[in-house]
Amino acid sequence: MVGTSAEGARRACRESKVLAVGAGGIGCELLKTLVLSGFEDITLIDMDTIEISNLNRQFLFRKKHVGQSKAEMAREAALKIAPNAKINAFHGNVKGEKFDVDFFKSFDVVLNGLDNLDARRHVNRMTLAAGVPLVESGTAGYNGQVTVHRKGETECFECQPKPVPKQYPVCTIRNTPDKPIHCIVWSKDLLFPGLFGEPTQASQENGAGEENGAGGEEKDLEISTRQPGQSARDYGATVLGEVYHDAIARLASLEDMWKERDPPKPLDSSLITAGLGKVAKASSAGGPRGAAGESASHVLGLTNSHAVWTVEESVAVFVLTIEILLEHHAAKIGMLGFDKDFDLSVDFVAAASNLRSFCYGIPQQSKFDVKGLAGNIIHAIATTNAIISGLIVLEAQKVLLKQFSDVMTTFVQHNPTRGRLLQRIPPQKPNPKCYVCSKAMVRLEIDVKKMTLGQLVDEVLCKSLAFKHPTVLVGPTMHFESGNDLEDDEVLHYGKQRKKILADLPGGPIAHNALVQVEDYSQDMSVEILVQHKVFEDEGSAEFFAVHGEVKGREEGEEGGGDEEGGDSDDDDLCVVVAEGEGAKRNDAEEGEGERESKKQKTLM
Amino acid sequence: MSSIARGRITQERKRWRKDHPPGFFARPETNDGVQNLMKWKCHIPGRKDTIWEGGYYPIGMEFPEDYPQKPPKCRFPANFYHPNVYPSGTVCLSILNEDEGWVPSINIKQILQGIQDLLTDPNPNSPAQTEAYVDYTKNLKEYESKVKKQVDKFPPPF
Repeated sequence: MVGTSAEGARRACRESKVLAVGAGGIGCELLKTLVLSGFEDITLIDMDTIEISNLNRQFLFRKKHVGQSKAEMAREAALKIAPNAKINAFHGNVKGEKFDVDFFKSFDVVLNGLDNLDARRHVNRMTLAAGVPLVESGTAGYNGQVTVHRKGETECFECQPKPVPKQYPVCTIRNTPDKPIHCIVWSKDLLFPGLFGEPTQASQENGAGEENGAGGEEKDLEISTRQPGQSARDYGATVLGEVYHDAIARLASLEDMWKERDPPKPLDSSLITAGLGKVAKASSAGGPRGAAGESASHVLGLTNSHAVWTVEESVAVFVLTIEILLEHHAAKIGMLGFDKDFDLSVDFVAAASNLRSFCYGIPQQSKFDVKGLAGNIIHAIATTNAIISGLIVLEAQKVLLKQFSDVMTTFVQHNPTRGRLLQRIPPQKPNPKCYVCSKAMVRLEIDVKKMTLGQLVDEVLCKSLAFKHPTVLVGPTMHFESGNDLEDDEVLHYGKQRKKILADLPGGPIAHNALVQVEDYSQDMSVEILVQHKVFEDEGSAEFFAVHGEVKGREEGEEGGGDEEGGDSDDDDLCVVVAEGEGAKRNDAEEGEGERESKKQKTLM
Repeated sequence: MSSIARGRITQERKRWRKDHPPGFFARPETNDGVQNLMKWKCHIPGRKDTIWEGGYYPIGMEFPEDYPQKPPKCRFPANFYHPNVYPSGTVCLSILNEDEGWVPSINIKQILQGIQDLLTDPNPNSPAQTEAYVDYTKNLKEYESKVKKQVDKFPPPF
């Protein structure tokens, strides 16, 4: 920063009101950097509580804080650095109702240190709706990124599609794996839940398995249930034989499948015997086997998690894990899922995936690597978080000083490019096709407890916003469609929908703070409406809704409008207030299009 | 939910409303009066002059959050008899596999027609259930008779 602007920067820090979303890996670093840079009015939101695995990098927290709110503990720690700062901490979800557009509007800049796409998208939309600049950030291992988003000036967070976690085709997972991850996904999403949990839930969660028709699953895995009187270890050995010998042999016999690749080889019985020998030896050695918290690999002395187990060792871990789970975790059987923090499940997935890999001639992995792959873990690096936080504050200062031409998008990279670890590029322009920021964001004040969907469609959407055939969506729920290409039963359904009060709509009510998506096929137009509940008191002759904000992308000269008298649509602060006579009270009025028109007058302020 | 997915699905819905192949049916599912854009209910007619003719096979289509980067999941009723349908009803078809034939430009009409093709022309290289696969490869007569029996289970829905 240039010398002359240093005082300006300090003042900007001191006098600005910032919102930091997230008090985790980036959030801790960010809060520290903020207070040390002289920021004095900071609001912090985080819904999480502190976990032991956070402590290595979320340095504002100590072991005694485990279980407490991240936002509140971070606040306390930061106040020790800067006792005069005003720090508000909220332990809650940033998507919560109280963090509405007005809340976001009260800040000069919003700084994101989030860990998930969903919350990032939400904050992106709220900052767009509020017109507040957003400094977005993220890290993954050595890599990181800081981007500034300003409505209309730069791309928004959703202008470019985001990479999504990898999914694997079902057929590969079930029958023809050729990479370690295929076997890991199979173990974690099919075998483990098939034995100890609910297959449906587990495989939906990470989308990889997807095959989960309850009945079909067990049938496909062909695992017998434990016989009365059968020892847990014996049952483990039975399962092992069924899964790695019988099922593999059956699959290998389907010749057509193996024309272009090598068939899998069933697990040799000598390897099974050797592995069972290890289990017997470990348990007869009298170790403290079976303390509920202990894992099979520990009992077997396999304590180096970076070592790749032999096949015999995997057999032993497999059988012993089943034994320990059945004997010491009986209450949880039927509802267990893979959890990277539950060591028995990690042991099981490591052993099970390596055995499968062995059958298919795929390289085996260490437990550490399996855990990382199975848990989608990218090991966080504190230094990257610190660098990113510094960059967030630098960009925030530029935004606050309105030095927009200096704003940069920065990438932190693992390997230097042209001798630099930091790559800086100017911010990208908004994507004109972006579903989020290219269309107008409209704020609509209505009485959601009085207005019907039919009124919303007729009065607000069609008359005021000039839609022709709007489709009304809230989240994934489609409340309304119109147009002459609908089927008869659909027309009937939507006729009923029209009579419902907005706040009572099933499957996604149009209530305070609801985001309503309105599409119009006939006009190729799309608007996102933020609904704000407002009681319009003067019922007799008062306006009954108010629209704020601009509607872009609307075709001039479209028919159907015509009532835009004197409207100066260039005005950003366009506010349309529509007054209606007694119409507002007639919630159940029939849908006659023309009859109410005469009673309305529109004023532009 | 993803606005990209929603934008695309509403677009698909629009296209379908405008024009769709005869005999096919596809629309967002309505459950207790709630119409969910992410789950569609569809029917595929069995192709004329084949053993599948006369059946209108119900199939559910579930769109993931990151559709159309990823394909929808297509599922017949459980235990649907066909070599490339898993016991759970899930269809195993290359264009529905992210790593194989799926490209985001494939539309709902193409998916449904692709599955219609698969019904009459199973792919023996990628069996998904034992019964139909074994019948189809080892005992074609038995296979045909079971398919015809299945036709009666799925009469026209209208």
